[in-house]
Amino acid sequence: MTQVLSPQEDRVINKKVDRKGRERIYKILERNQFTVPHVDVERAKYFTESMRQTEGELLTLRWAKALKNVAEKITVWITPDQLLAGRVGKLGRYGILYPEIDGDFYREVLGNLAHRDKSPFLVDPDDLKVVMEDIAPYWEGKTYHEHLNKTLPTELRNVTYVDERGLKSKFVVSETSSYRSALQWVPDYKKVLERGFIDIQNEAKERLAALDLTNSTDLWEKKPFYDAMIIVCDAIMIWAKRHADLARDMAAKEGDAKRKAELLQIAEICDRVPAYPARTFREAMQCQWFVQMFSRIEQKASAIISNGRMDQYLFPYYKKDIEEGRITREEARELLECMWVDMAQFIDLYINPTGVEFQEGYAHWEAVTIGGQTPEGEDATNDLSYLFLESKRDFPLNYPDLAARIHSRTPERFLYEVALTVKDGSGFPKLINDEEVVFLNSIKGCPVNEALDYAVSGCTETRMPNRDTYTSGCVYVNFATALEMTLYNGRMLYYGDDVVGLETGDPCTFKSFDEFYAAYKKQHINLLQKAFQQQVVVDKLRPQHFAAPFSSVLHNLCMESALDLHTEKIPGGVDYSYFEFLGYGTIVDSLAAIKKLVFEDKKLTMKEVVDACRADFKGYEPVREMLRKAPTYGNDDPYADTIARDVDRICQLEAMKSSQERGIHVDVRYVPITSHVPFGKVVSATPNGRHAWTALSDGSSASHGADVNGPTAVLLSNYHSKNYDLINRASRLLNIKLSPKSVEGDAGTKKVMDLIRTWCDLKLWHLQFNIVNRDTLVKAQKEPDNYRNLLVRIAGYSAYFCDISRELQNDIIDRTEHESV
Amino acid sequence: MNDENARGIVFNLQKFSVHDGEGIRTLVFLKGCPLRCQWCSNPESQSPKPEHAYNPARCLTAEKCGRCLSACTHGALELVNGMIMFDIRKCVQCFECANACPTEAQKIYGQEMTVGMVLDKVERDGVFYARSGGGLTLSGGEALFQHEFTLALLRAAKRRHIDTAIETCGFYPYEYLEEACHSLNKLIIDIKCVDPEKHKAFTGVDNALILENFARVTKDFPDLPILARTPIIPGFNDTEEDIRAIRELIPNRATVEYELLPYHRMGQPKYGYLCRRYPFEGKELDKAVMKKLREIASSLPLDLSYLERKGS
Repeated sequence: MTQVLSPQEDRVINKKVDRKGRERIYKILERNQFTVPHVDVERAKYFTESMRQTEGELLTLRWAKALKNVAEKITVWITPDQLLAGRVGKLGRYGILYPEIDGDFYREVLGNLAHRDKSPFLVDPDDLKVVMEDIAPYWEGKTYHEHLNKTLPTELRNVTYVDERGLKSKFVVSETSSYRSALQWVPDYKKVLERGFIDIQNEAKERLAALDLTNSTDLWEKKPFYDAMIIVCDAIMIWAKRHADLARDMAAKEGDAKRKAELLQIAEICDRVPAYPARTFREAMQCQWFVQMFSRIEQKASAIISNGRMDQYLFPYYKKDIEEGRITREEARELLECMWVDMAQFIDLYINPTGVEFQEGYAHWEAVTIGGQTPEGEDATNDLSYLFLESKRDFPLNYPDLAARIHSRTPERFLYEVALTVKDGSGFPKLINDEEVVFLNSIKGCPVNEALDYAVSGCTETRMPNRDTYTSGCVYVNFATALEMTLYNGRMLYYGDDVVGLETGDPCTFKSFDEFYAAYKKQHINLLQKAFQQQVVVDKLRPQHFAAPFSSVLHNLCMESALDLHTEKIPGGVDYSYFEFLGYGTIVDSLAAIKKLVFEDKKLTMKEVVDACRADFKGYEPVREMLRKAPTYGNDDPYADTIARDVDRICQLEAMKSSQERGIHVDVRYVPITSHVPFGKVVSATPNGRHAWTALSDGSSASHGADVNGPTAVLLSNYHSKNYDLINRASRLLNIKLSPKSVEGDAGTKKVMDLIRTWCDLKLWHLQFNIVNRDTLVKAQKEPDNYRNLLVRIAGYSAYFCDISRELQNDIIDRTEHESV
Repeated sequence: MNDENARGIVFNLQKFSVHDGEGIRTLVFLKGCPLRCQWCSNPESQSPKPEHAYNPARCLTAEKCGRCLSACTHGALELVNGMIMFDIRKCVQCFECANACPTEAQKIYGQEMTVGMVLDKVERDGVFYARSGGGLTLSGGEALFQHEFTLALLRAAKRRHIDTAIETCGFYPYEYLEEACHSLNKLIIDIKCVDPEKHKAFTGVDNALILENFARVTKDFPDLPILARTPIIPGFNDTEEDIRAIRELIPNRATVEYELLPYHRMGQPKYGYLCRRYPFEGKELDKAVMKKLREIASSLPLDLSYLERKGS
């Protein structure tokens, strides 16, 4: 039968590019999209320069002063041909440094950055000198990472790091707080558009004036806090003004009359925003971009700052401009795409070797949220929602990451255009389900109107910009190791005689599955308790190292309580902490295989299973095949799904206990990003027939190739394995790969819509599609040069297939492709 | 007998079927067919009984496994030069080899199920049917070959409010079809060729009964949605005359649709597993021919008076 290509495959394979109306965008894009990114050191340089001079002051104030120093001195840029001003690094793809996180090991790592195999970066020799002589020496002995490594007690270190310095993860209970200064965040862009920084600064001034300086808290904590707020407002306004000046300079030298006019318009806009409220769509876009870029200068908010509900807060400006003839729909789209190409050039740079493993393919995901509901619960879709989808369909770029909020009354047209965009095959948009998210966020304590107004943040997280206050990077727990420790009495083959877990005995002596499961449960809970203890240390240490005056000035609760966003507890805030579950499908399938084959059918002995796993199935091929044939998760098979539900239940009950102890809410999540690949590298063969050191199952998806009953069964397994009676749960990442053939034509689009509607009915958190032929991926692996611009869905984001490691490529190829009959 | 307890032989249950009827459906494949179409893509469906098949590509080899060799007590499996050879003449279809095989290289096509078992599985996707207008499609083999089981299945499905469709070749007493149509939401029926000689040569049976059943059912059930289908088979019915002749038999009515399916060879490997020869070796369908035939199939004007009568 002839192969059906997705529109993306058609573009890549047949080299079709429609540049009409996108001449400017392609010009900017092609200039630098596929170059190796480089490191820009200026942010680190001026940040450090100021931090040297302010030791002893309140951290928030020091941070604000450092940001002002950066704003005054960092090189300002207007990319050639761009309509938006502002970037924080040299032309081309770039990443910036945050030495407050990892400056202690720059001297050993930075020189080699260009040669590492995953996500390499170039460093200019002069810049390297600045880092070695100026930046790194200051931070050695002062970084959060060093502090955490020293503070963790031995029993926690033993499951966390391999080396003395805490640079190499053990991939058992992995902390993520030491390679990012905060979770991914969404600032309240709407507030800046409507008020401008002069007004926000005035609020800080009024609050400062209202303090009682005879009170010591007011004098020593609140006053410097509001001083910091005032300074940070100045900082962004200074930085913006410098762009206005630059635009005028460039205009003066510009020979081309059209470009000259554009530069003068940029200058006018930068004079206005973000100091004053935005009046037009162009001003609103520029203002948003300044806020977004300045948030990046402030801190490494995990995988970058998200764009919030763009179709909501931009709509009034768009509508007015269209109505008054100030802008056309095409011009508005061009402006959006100008933002996308600049966004694509800012790469989230991980210096920490563990950090790189977690998000491959130069990943960063500035989620743009579209659709969903208003704070009053009405459908929120508008013409801008459609413009975003249109831009995504016709324009092959992996940024921004588009997230469509779906609810029970999502209009058919929106769903149709979402389905059409999904069918394009580049993995956009990802879908987030209001029916699950709003319920969970509100029942955990967020007011319903704010829960209804959530924005997608990062991969699958959600954010209520004036209510969320928990910012610590959370722990990833590799529960596949708990399974391995059950097989080998607390040990893992990768770590030899080291007792990593608990000595639960020789499984060959176990008389029943209940006994085996009890041992597994002990190992599982042990890791979980270690994870919670680790997170407590993280929560205590972070506020000593990180402050976020810019994020705080935009957060109502911080402004009211005069507390930095990184404070451990902010009155009125909701603290949703979490841990990531690694290896769900791997564990469930292994437990199901042992239950069925060893204890029920008695076709294998426990010893045969252990011996086969120890030998990585060499000489035990029939055993491996029997294990693989046992019931598996992802097939709507109650046998496996009941086990899955119980494993999830253990997590939620423990999370509930921890929540009560710590006074914050703790959730289990199933969002591995790309880390199921490195976490798999320390896990030997598992009783589901998985070979040693290969990837674990990803998120809440089935083990590779195990889901043979199609996408409806995958969705149902996901549903049946949840515990709806408990609320210590949040996002579950779910990948479905479909062949382009199965969704061909209008009838196929309708099927995608039906799948999405039903997914919404099932109240599953997240869903994303890869609609691509297996053949195409295999060819792209062989001839990367012909497939440079092929995008694939990874985990809450899309990346160029040729930018990711071979292991991850294989992982994506192996995800089951559902072909309909 | 209670419909839910009726038993039949099912050889596959396929979820997320999107090309056979409305919406997202579950396809249930039933064993047994009165026709022997030379191009058949489900050769494992033809015999009404469970049957053994061997796929050497899935075999771990005798060196690593060899469990089937010891399981077979009838000499149907032998080791020849390190290869497992299957002799169908000695096989008594006891399936001991398939039970011993860890990889499904030795496989049984067909298992006995009750109507209740089938529908319990089908109903698990109910939430998808509700949104997409989908449901259950019975296929085969011939959906009505095990007519007692199939009719029980359709009645029980109707009681459970599951949308039903069948895919049928139309070769059986009209009473079966008539009774089925009382419980059906959609009938999908093949009209392969109008020429009786050619029909017999390529399918093994005469087409008179099929054409008569089709004429009667379209007359007796004017409100039932019917989809007539013709698989386009090179060298059999791929001429314009063939399709025009069939097209003339299709009533021009809004409830009746007509569709052509292109020949494919995806079933070919299964002939090997069953120790059979694929009769259509090397044949291919010309894309341009298919395109032209599709134009003819859709060219006749549709009589919309039915819709007007309904007032829509």
